[in-house]
Amino acid sequence: MIKRLISPYLYCCIFLSFNVVSKEYLVVLKDHLFYPAEIVVPANKKVRLLIENQDSTPEEFDSFDLNREKVLYPNRKSVIYIGPLTPGRYEFFGEFSPNTARGAVIVTDKEQPNANN
Amino acid sequence: MLITSLVMSLNQLLPVAILLILLQVIAKQSLLRLLGMLGLGIGLTFLFVKSAPIISPWFDYQGLEYTQIGLCILIFFSALHYAVKRAALAFIIAIMSVMTLYLSHYIIYLIGFWQSNEAAQSLFIGTFLGLGICSSFSVLLYFLLSAIKQRFGLSSILLLLALNSAAKLVVALDLASQIDVIATTATVWDLRAILTENSEFGRMLRAFIGYEATPNLTSVLSYILSSVVFLSVCYFIPKSMAKEQS
Repeated sequence: MIKRLISPYLYCCIFLSFNVVSKEYLVVLKDHLFYPAEIVVPANKKVRLLIENQDSTPEEFDSFDLNREKVLYPNRKSVIYIGPLTPGRYEFFGEFSPNTARGAVIVTDKEQPNANN
Repeated sequence: MLITSLVMSLNQLLPVAILLILLQVIAKQSLLRLLGMLGLGIGLTFLFVKSAPIISPWFDYQGLEYTQIGLCILIFFSALHYAVKRAALAFIIAIMSVMTLYLSHYIIYLIGFWQSNEAAQSLFIGTFLGLGICSSFSVLLYFLLSAIKQRFGLSSILLLLALNSAAKLVVALDLASQIDVIATTATVWDLRAILTENSEFGRMLRAFIGYEATPNLTSVLSYILSSVVFLSVCYFIPKSMAKEQS
């Protein structure tokens, strides 16, 4: 009986134990452009993207490659977790300004200097 | 801006139209109820958009994602309830939830860019064209699904509804991994070379059955499992109810 009660909790803990501290990368949206347009992140590691929308209009961060979608409110910061990813190029764009707001996450095996922590 | 408005309106209207047509083919609702529900749904969506800045900071700035996850789960269970019991309330909850989930993005876009004089005209024309294309598509889809129902029986429509509803749970999983509630698992396959999600057909398949070119293992397993559960419930519950009555 106790085993039955504890098992789901244990599975849940194992599932959530993946939530280790992640490296953070800052992306700024200004004049409908992402800065930097390319973010280089390590392979097979979960990372945290801190996206700051400095525009006066909202934007939607969208990526089919990463399966991510989030509304970025004007003059606010938003957080999105991505990964662990295999090496490659994963494109993202602003759905409200798809012609200008474009960028990519470059996943590589090499060491990364541009993380914020 | 015109093309963006058109693409945006189609992206956000299609999932609503598809679920509405699937439920309507299963059991027809009156036009008055449909119109009332659509009006209520638009009202609820505006309320959601207005309260988004308040909800957003909840749970360590993850309030919107949790709300959207809740809406996805609500859509799955209300669609399932409607498929089994044909309850009007389940129909209303499913459609209002899907409207809030998808149309809120478009309303944020409209409100955000409406103040610009140059954009207003493009927004209006884009929305108008999007509504027109979506309405034509809905009418054709309704007749196509009605013909499929007549030819192959209700099970074929239930299968499509099961896949459509299971896709909403996959959206909930993606949102959960986006806010680090669950871990992202390895990508099972990569079909980007064959069919990308941002192509016309890819977008249509995504809205219809939740097509993903690069799904992860958790998404694939959840999609299959929830579709099987949906169909099993649709198959076994009416049978057990019929047995009880006899």
